[in-house]
Amino acid sequence: MLQRTEGIVLRTTPYGEADLIVTFLTKDHGIIKVFAKSPRKVKSRFGSSLEPLTCSRISFWGKEDSALPRLTQADITHVYSSIRESLSGFLKVSELIELTLYLVPERDRSRNVFSLLMRTLALMEAGPAEQLITLFYKLKLLDIAGFLPRLQSCGRCGGEGDAFHLMQGTVLCGNCCTGDGQVSRLSRSARTFFSTLLKWEMSKLHRLKPAEGIIRELVVLIDEHAQYVTEKNLRTKSFRVG
Amino acid sequence: MHGIIENLINQLTRLPGIGRKSAQRLAFFILSMPESEAMSIAEAIRTVKQTARFCNTCFNITDNEICEVCSDDSRDRSRIVVVEEPSNILVIERSGAFRCLYHVLLGALSPIDGVTPEKLKIKELADRVAAGGIQEVVVATNPNTKGEITAQYIKEVLAPLGVKVTRIAYGLPMGSDIEFADEVTLSKALAGRREL
Repeated sequence: MLQRTEGIVLRTTPYGEADLIVTFLTKDHGIIKVFAKSPRKVKSRFGSSLEPLTCSRISFWGKEDSALPRLTQADITHVYSSIRESLSGFLKVSELIELTLYLVPERDRSRNVFSLLMRTLALMEAGPAEQLITLFYKLKLLDIAGFLPRLQSCGRCGGEGDAFHLMQGTVLCGNCCTGDGQVSRLSRSARTFFSTLLKWEMSKLHRLKPAEGIIRELVVLIDEHAQYVTEKNLRTKSFRVG
Repeated sequence: MHGIIENLINQLTRLPGIGRKSAQRLAFFILSMPESEAMSIAEAIRTVKQTARFCNTCFNITDNEICEVCSDDSRDRSRIVVVEEPSNILVIERSGAFRCLYHVLLGALSPIDGVTPEKLKIKELADRVAAGGIQEVVVATNPNTKGEITAQYIKEVLAPLGVKVTRIAYGLPMGSDIEFADEVTLSKALAGRREL
């Protein structure tokens, strides 16, 4: 069956001499992998449409539950070239993509992730404050995947707590905190900012001006939490520039 | 008899672009060849597997410590063309456009696949440039995202060394038609236009 949708290239894996297995995040089918015949040849009809961070209208052929349908067409609608052409920008986006691939199962038809990534890339393309944008994306992605940590109040009694338990995925108060497992302290301002961020609209993100320390505190905690729930070390994290 | 032919067919299907039918055709062609010719193919495969190694300087494939390109004194030794794979050198050499030195990275950076700078021969390139005598480094990695990221990383690494770093041009392939070009290639070709 021929299927059409809109998608963005997350990753490409070379296959054979000139073929590619392309991972798309699509509007209608979630994350899918498709087989593209000979896009690496100079005169390929796919041109540059299968490069990462390229949005296209795509058509692919295969049974509905086919593990690897064949890509028949890809018409570019937008290219995030400014992100792709900046080493630091591409590294940040690669981290988000890697996390998405770990947290979102293939063929999960939820549209939230597609629109979340598209809006995030649009913001990153428009200007600075990348750290806040990537933090926001990670929180929303964890929320969609059902792994959002609870930092607002104690996960057991609802009281105020500042000890984040990695294994529990929540902060615990002094009474509920047993001391088992890895615990990290979180400042009150970081917890307040976390709550604000969850209710904030993405389009108004530039209005938030948190202290750098607060963002750093949350980034470290969210990264540790994401690593714990995915049970994977992000490969992109091991990439150091300079 | 059937078993040994079947084995040869199975072995040939391991080669890229060779399916079962092609392997069958090749197997029967090898069977019909004079023994000396067939054995020379086998010997060539054995030799290349036993003696091929990377050049100590540029990481091209060679059977000595230093490859033919690096030991050729008639070449322009002030320029290095950086490529991803040794096979890229053959293509550039065939074009006849450059007679200079090369440096093979043995891959391209890909953060998401865990290919970090430490896994490529980038430090060795910086060491070659730092040793002196190089005026220009031409980055000829593939014109795709991984190749572009690699080129940018090389530019950052070589910046303190004060060497000129250039990138091969982007554009339309010769013999193609503009109306079939995609937006990105065309915009790159226009951006990289030159005066006639």
